[in-house]
Amino acid sequence: MNTRNIGLVAKKELLGLSSEKTIVFAILLQVFIAMFSSFLMVGLTAMYDPEAIEGYSTVAYGVGYAGADSALIGEFEKRDDLILHRMDLSQALAALRDRKVSAVVYVPETPPDAEGPVMVTLYLIQNDLQSSVINVKVKEVLQGYEKELREVRADRMTAFPVELNFPDSGGGENFFEFVYGLLIPLLVLLPAIVSAALIIDLITEEYQRRTLETLMSTPVTFAEMVWGKVAACEVLVPVQAGAWLLLLGFNGIAVDNAAAILLHASAGGLFLILLGALVALHYRERTSAQFIFSTALVVVFLLVMAVPYNPLNLMVRLAVDTVGPVHWLILALVAGATALLGWGVTAYARRVGEATPEAR
Amino acid sequence: MSLASSIRTIAVWEMNRSMTTMGRSVLPLAAGLLVLLLLVTAFAAESGVHMQDGMYRIGVDDPEVARIVAPDGRFTAYLDNGAALWENRFAYDIVILQGEVYAADTDKGRAALKTLERDYEGYVSYVAAGEPDLFAAYPLWIDLQYVKSEIDFLATQSGQQVGAPTDAGRPPAPSGPVEAVTPPASAMPVSEETLREHLADTGNNHPLERYTGVISGGSAMGDFRTPSELSAPLPFDAIILVFVFIFPLYFTSQFFMMSVMNERVGRAGEALLSTPVGPAAIIVGKALPYFTIMILIAVAITLFAGAPMTILLPLVPVILFFLANALIIGMASRSFKELSFVSIFFSTLATSYLFFPTVFANTHVISIISPLTLVVLDIQGDGFTAMEFVYSTALFFATSIILFYVGITNFREERLFSQKPLTSRLADFVSAGISRDHPHISLFLLAGFTIPFVFMAQMLTLVLFFNIPMPLSLVLLTVSAAFIEEFAKSIGLYAVARERPGFLTPKNLLLGAVAIGFGFLVGEKLLLFATLAQITESIFGSVLFLSLQVLWMPLLLHIAGVLITGTFLLLWGRRAYLPGLVAACVVHSLYNLYFLLGALQ
Repeated sequence: MNTRNIGLVAKKELLGLSSEKTIVFAILLQVFIAMFSSFLMVGLTAMYDPEAIEGYSTVAYGVGYAGADSALIGEFEKRDDLILHRMDLSQALAALRDRKVSAVVYVPETPPDAEGPVMVTLYLIQNDLQSSVINVKVKEVLQGYEKELREVRADRMTAFPVELNFPDSGGGENFFEFVYGLLIPLLVLLPAIVSAALIIDLITEEYQRRTLETLMSTPVTFAEMVWGKVAACEVLVPVQAGAWLLLLGFNGIAVDNAAAILLHASAGGLFLILLGALVALHYRERTSAQFIFSTALVVVFLLVMAVPYNPLNLMVRLAVDTVGPVHWLILALVAGATALLGWGVTAYARRVGEATPEAR
Repeated sequence: MSLASSIRTIAVWEMNRSMTTMGRSVLPLAAGLLVLLLLVTAFAAESGVHMQDGMYRIGVDDPEVARIVAPDGRFTAYLDNGAALWENRFAYDIVILQGEVYAADTDKGRAALKTLERDYEGYVSYVAAGEPDLFAAYPLWIDLQYVKSEIDFLATQSGQQVGAPTDAGRPPAPSGPVEAVTPPASAMPVSEETLREHLADTGNNHPLERYTGVISGGSAMGDFRTPSELSAPLPFDAIILVFVFIFPLYFTSQFFMMSVMNERVGRAGEALLSTPVGPAAIIVGKALPYFTIMILIAVAITLFAGAPMTILLPLVPVILFFLANALIIGMASRSFKELSFVSIFFSTLATSYLFFPTVFANTHVISIISPLTLVVLDIQGDGFTAMEFVYSTALFFATSIILFYVGITNFREERLFSQKPLTSRLADFVSAGISRDHPHISLFLLAGFTIPFVFMAQMLTLVLFFNIPMPLSLVLLTVSAAFIEEFAKSIGLYAVARERPGFLTPKNLLLGAVAIGFGFLVGEKLLLFATLAQITESIFGSVLFLSLQVLWMPLLLHIAGVLITGTFLLLWGRRAYLPGLVAACVVHSLYNLYFLLGALQ
């Protein structure tokens, strides 16, 4: 194979991408997503961990209290972000519906040391952001009350957990796990998937537009043509992934070992691109190839996620700098698998290239 | 051949063809992949997700403590004696010495601490669940009840806080009617065995697991839980519906998009065009199988999820909308990669339009602009009224019909097989709608037809800017609304100027501007009366649809806007289109802001 020919094909494909200005759509898309970013940041974090929302609220909320006296009142009084109002239950629920209070608790007359449980009823507003905040705050109060009740009934217990004393965590939101454990690997993976879908478009288009004959009449061989396209797609992976990491850096999210992350992304991306190329060479038709590839992608993705020390996990560990040298071993393994697949693609492309023009 | 029979012929032909191209080699492999998928899913369920393994390092001096964090893959635990741990404490995110927890003062340390606290809660619950006296270990049970409360659109405008106001002094008095409520019973209605089983089930929950239960609904437990199980409600649970309903439908529409594209590749559709079957029958016939399949998929998912069948009603316009866009994208893209990028772009826009309003379901009437909100309401058991159905789906129906119409008029040889760039192809599509004999009537109609798209785009900006603080959101909304309107009004003129440069004389420009201004106004009025009455009454509405109060003022404004853009085109040619558009947009925004300030005072 001639590297110059491969380079020529790759350059032609990259020029085609920029002349069609399709890349503009990709940029528009990223700008569009950036516009939503504040919403996404709050929204996605909340989806991942609803308790993080608590950090966004600084106001005090009113809570309606109905029913019998209990130690719960004392628990509420310890907090300055919840204000308790003693109310009649009907009044309190009507006030909740008008959003005059944010939650209502009803406590029955069960004594603390009773045989059965204390059944507290908690009323919240349905499917509402504010309810999520209140829920977290009230949960902490109720946990305090539960602890108190457990102490009252302690003589009825048999086993005791190991005691741990936690420092005051100060509450507040924490994006760390969401950003490093989910967002970064997904953002880095995205370009790999886009590139793999792109190679299918590039290869099937040659077949469906019948432009192969023209291409084959040049000194470029079929295998060189395929590898040129693969190279064009592969170049885009670290460039896009690097752009994401830079953007995160501008937003104050420092990512450790960026170079190693990009290496992993490039190796994994090449694997997916070659897989796409193989599917495209086999089907020679976009609909079938994309359909099979996207199904295969789900299988590969699920399988990879279920294996310890998978490349995505390594990216997380690299980003937070808790990885040992073991990641080089995994990188070598992925590279080996990719080389094997690459050999397969080359052999397949050679066979197709040597076949008679009618059979192509 | 009658229209119905030719549609049937095309539909059957489309089914056969896609079955043969797909069937030969794809179906066996797809079936194989499906089996693999099941196996892998089983494996993944067994092995767990290993994405966040080893994120945190934790140093402990007691093997008993190490056992607490052992089930959580996020921690890598190091066992050492206390002095060595203290010396190397900066190498760890958390150090636990004799039951005292020390966390690094970094974001990572705090995140690790939070995770550890949750693991510890799980561990304490686990120990407590083994107690013979269950109610000594779990003395407190919470019965969680939700109350519905909807804010009307004017809430923020009239200065009412969305969050409840608090006055420490006296309890607030409800302004609405008070219904008498009987206090809930104090006895536990669920047996002790059920409670134990339930506690054994909920061991250590991973944050992502909560989403698996959204569709399947509640368990035998009802609403009873211990305080530590009290997880916040899902404000974003509609995202699950997007995954479950919208993605399969969108995925299927891709096949239609490809089928349209395949007609154009290598002039394959030439034979089809030469038959006596008209373009309308071809397009409807080609779309029909996919429409049927999408409906069947939606029915299957609905049955599987056990949701009421009425949720299909709001899904139908969404399906039509996807198909209509698939048709236009398939007809306009030059190459496969363009097809991919444009369709990904479109799907992001459409998903945001569908998803973001649903976040405000139950909270705010703005949510009703998305048909998906109706699905949410219906699954909750609240249902929706016929009026709400019209509100949220009218734009989808209108845009779909117009897009299908555009597709049908352009389904001709010279349009399908040309290799022009995307933008000029789209301009071609528009100019196909402008008749040579009656250009002004065409411009009038065209301006009217752009209204549903203008509304959709403006709705998207409304959703987009909704959560930005008030003065800024109004300014952004004003400017973007003006830009969208000016752009929509100018496309007809631009298409004419492109196709027939000689047409653009001062006289024709004036006539055209009047025609467009009138068309725009009439379209706006018609659609507004039919739909968004609630939103137009709010302050946001008065930004978007300011022009409805007095009739002659907006008419002059609309005409002036087109005239500005048109004059730029007339004087300096097509290159001046963008500056002209900006100039018109500035004038439009100033006008809107002037009236808005008047409205605010």
